[in-house]
Amino acid sequence: MQENKTQCKLVLYEYQQYADREGEKMPGEMDLKIGKLADKITMKLSGEVDIYTSQGLKEKLYEVVESNKADLVIDCTDLNYIDSSGLGILIGTLKKAKSYGRNVYLNNMKDNIRKLFSITGLDKLFIVN
Amino acid sequence: MGLKSDSIEIRLPFKAEYVSVVRLTASGIANRMGFDIEAIEDIKVAISEVCNKLVCCGGEREGVYRVIFTLEGERLVIVFDSEDNGLQCIFDEDEDALGISIIKALMDEVELCKSGKYLFFMSRTVEQQFKG
Repeated sequence: MQENKTQCKLVLYEYQQYADREGEKMPGEMDLKIGKLADKITMKLSGEVDIYTSQGLKEKLYEVVESNKADLVIDCTDLNYIDSSGLGILIGTLKKAKSYGRNVYLNNMKDNIRKLFSITGLDKLFIVN
Repeated sequence: MGLKSDSIEIRLPFKAEYVSVVRLTASGIANRMGFDIEAIEDIKVAISEVCNKLVCCGGEREGVYRVIFTLEGERLVIVFDSEDNGLQCIFDEDEDALGISIIKALMDEVELCKSGKYLFFMSRTVEQQFKG
């Protein structure tokens, strides 16, 4: 019985992470929804930011910063994964925002994402909530 | 008496869209071995960092690279190799400082440059306290 439970856990692990919940991104997918709240631009980043999806993210983020010159608030509740290519793009976005005297806020990061920010020292560069 | 080890190998083109396939495979293998979810996430990130670099180094190359997972009891060894024998060191200590720091922080053992047969080596062992 114990073994069956373990086997079920094995099968379900990825699906629980990505596919069980409606609207959840599948591995290798990324989405960015953009809104506005008061004088801040709000964004909801979901799915996986990796070498394949990061270029699309870069274009969107840079465009938003350039055209709005406002603070960015990125909600990372549904962000499952990010690697150094994604972190590099967030750093570039922060630099761009700072050049206009603005800031980037990262909210609701999952533990695995927060850990990466801690390892790389980026938690001291961004405003992490 | 040595432990019998299983080996799982994937061959991938130098294309960014297939890096997520390696992550999924790593996730299944690590879960099977008894790594907890935090460790599985660590392994996935470390593997992706190497794959990213191989894809970048690979450029427009037609060939493939290999990712080999070896399950040595509670130790998971992951090595990377390419058909291109010219590749010796895929990481640059300065240019890739962010990626290197992430890999070293997340894995137990890391060999950044070619030593012996493989282009890149890393391993992680299941932590006893997390075993169910």
